[in-house]
Amino acid sequence: MSIPTLQGLQTALSGLIAEQAALDVTGNNIANSDTEGYSRQTAVLQTNQPITIPAISSLTGEGAQLGTGVSVATITRVRNIYLDAQYRTQNSALSEASTQSEELTQAQAAFNEPSSSGLASQISAFWSAWSELANAPTSVPAKQEVVAAGVALTNTFHELSAQLATISTQAGAQYAALTGPTGEVQNDANQIAQLNGQIKLAEQAGQKPNEMLDRRDLLLDKLSSLAQVTVSEQPDGTDTVSFGDAAKPLVEGTTVNWPQELTQAAGGKLGALLGLTAPGGALSSYQAALDNVASTLASSVDALHTSTPFFSGSTAATLKVAVTAAQVQTSSTEAPGGNNVAQAIAALRGGAAEQSYAALVEQIGAGVQAAKDEQANLQTTVTAIGNQRQSVSGVSLDEEMTNLISFQRGYQASARTLTAMDSMLETLIEHTGTVGL
Amino acid sequence: MTERITPAMVTATTLNDINSSLATLERTSDELSSGKTILEPSENPYGASQVIDLQSQLDGLSSYATNAQEGISWENTASGAMSNISNVLQTVRQLLVQTSSGTYNQSDRESIATEVDQLTEAVKQDANTQYAGQYVFSGTTTTTAPYPQGAEDTYQGDNGTITRAIGPGVSVNIATNISTLLGNGQGAADGKLLDTLQTISEHLRGGTPEDIAALGSGDLKSVEASLETLSQLQATAGSVTDQLQTASSRIEGLQGTIAASLANVEDANIAQTSIAYSNEQAAYEAALRAGASIIQESLLQFLQ
Repeated sequence: MSIPTLQGLQTALSGLIAEQAALDVTGNNIANSDTEGYSRQTAVLQTNQPITIPAISSLTGEGAQLGTGVSVATITRVRNIYLDAQYRTQNSALSEASTQSEELTQAQAAFNEPSSSGLASQISAFWSAWSELANAPTSVPAKQEVVAAGVALTNTFHELSAQLATISTQAGAQYAALTGPTGEVQNDANQIAQLNGQIKLAEQAGQKPNEMLDRRDLLLDKLSSLAQVTVSEQPDGTDTVSFGDAAKPLVEGTTVNWPQELTQAAGGKLGALLGLTAPGGALSSYQAALDNVASTLASSVDALHTSTPFFSGSTAATLKVAVTAAQVQTSSTEAPGGNNVAQAIAALRGGAAEQSYAALVEQIGAGVQAAKDEQANLQTTVTAIGNQRQSVSGVSLDEEMTNLISFQRGYQASARTLTAMDSMLETLIEHTGTVGL
Repeated sequence: MTERITPAMVTATTLNDINSSLATLERTSDELSSGKTILEPSENPYGASQVIDLQSQLDGLSSYATNAQEGISWENTASGAMSNISNVLQTVRQLLVQTSSGTYNQSDRESIATEVDQLTEAVKQDANTQYAGQYVFSGTTTTTAPYPQGAEDTYQGDNGTITRAIGPGVSVNIATNISTLLGNGQGAADGKLLDTLQTISEHLRGGTPEDIAALGSGDLKSVEASLETLSQLQATAGSVTDQLQTASSRIEGLQGTIAASLANVEDANIAQTSIAYSNEQAAYEAALRAGASIIQESLLQFLQ
């Protein structure tokens, strides 16, 4: 037995096909070099089954193995699933910190401190008005000024309280929109379930559905910004996705379990929104502290303004000036020149109300600062992991260009082999047995 | 194997660097244009609460400064009135000395009595001096004249105190109880100024030798006693003014100190910030330049 006559052509052809496939993969990589979530692909080449050239007799089994070329075993995507898991964990934490920082920054902006128009300066102006009144206890304009400063002060309390409430309401609305029937969670989960089905079919047929895998991973990345995502890959190629602290998996095969209850432990944007709006959460504690400032202020003034309470209401939202200018009390005696009450109220400056307000501003500032610091730290981590992922899966044009040249040369060489084989056969067919003709 | 570097990584890193450079630059620019180093509490939470606290102290001090100035003006008004009264008393004293010498006849004494009556009204008028619509000698009944013009000589005010707060827990009484000088008139026979003046007027009109003798002895003594009382009142008012003036300059000093602390916490150090700004600007330009040249490089450029 010898080498089949046309084997060389087949071998050269397999080379052409394989190099062409590799070139196509390179082309695809280059085309997708900027596609979000794309993992670079490589054509995995393997040698074909060799044929044996028997040395003496086919019966002895001795002989040389002659390679019969190459074939494309599979086209795989280059991806590290451990980096994916890490990325998603950190991305959830980052998204949680960013949401917190955004919402708390809004609260901080509402307070507008330190400035000449914040609540602190309104309180200060209120005391100054009382001090002016103490200098001119019988002056009607001074009394009107006290009432006006009180009204300006209570208006600022109302605005602040309303703004905190609005931030809280908007956070709630955002949560509802994201988790609603047309929300992001539902949409992403539906798509993942659909891709699970398609991937399962493709894998059953023995194919590697790289593009669908990439799309599913991208959706999981997106989902991880909403809450913590844990993915377990099933033997059939489907992903089972746990979402936040939901009781049942969000996606299991092609089934979507949504809506489900989440708590603030869910992590991600949704966890942060729940945490901020929860009773005892940051926003409600700010609201409570503001109410405390309002009630402390009102009770300390009213304790001195004994004729009739100066303020009514005991929360930031309900605090009102309850007196007219004529009812403003300047003295504990009937004497028109008495100013002990006005003086005592002016002396409340720097007291408990202002101290608790300054503490509140410090608390908000510290909250925002902590959230921003955490956000910056996590941003660095996420960028680092993202870079590691990119390092593994990203398309490097330099690399692709090098591959392109290598595959192109391989293709050219295979074609040259084909030509050589052809000329060999030509010698055999055209020039053999023509001796003497 | 070394880490693979892809253009996407380079782009992302470069963009990130440029963005963070720009963010720093913008923050410093805000600081420069506002002149404040604490633009929001999160940049320095404790500093922000300090700013609120110091600002309130500063506002409080300016209230105290106003109070002290108000008090000084009040005392100046009162002192002015009292020196008018003092002049009147000096005049009366001279008249008494002249009339007691006996060279005046009855009609002269009658006309002097008329002058004394007028001076009595002038004293009451001075006692009714107002500052910003408030009677300064009425105690706390500042809307009532202490001595209405005419026959009524009873003190209409009270002996309440009027205070001006010039510091936390520190206040000064600016009320002068003029009734210790003027008394309640002849009806009360209290030997105070109004009683004395009316008695003098009676003695002048009476013209008996006892009357004339009384002018030079008892009446003159009473007038001198009133002058003594008045100078005590004036001294008290003067010391209150001194106290207020001292407080005023002390407050001014404190304002300076606290404003300096506030500036320390709150204000941007312009020199430092300007240098930081130009450094950051250089860093930003470098990031831009590096980004622009790195991103352009690719193997593609070198392949034919």
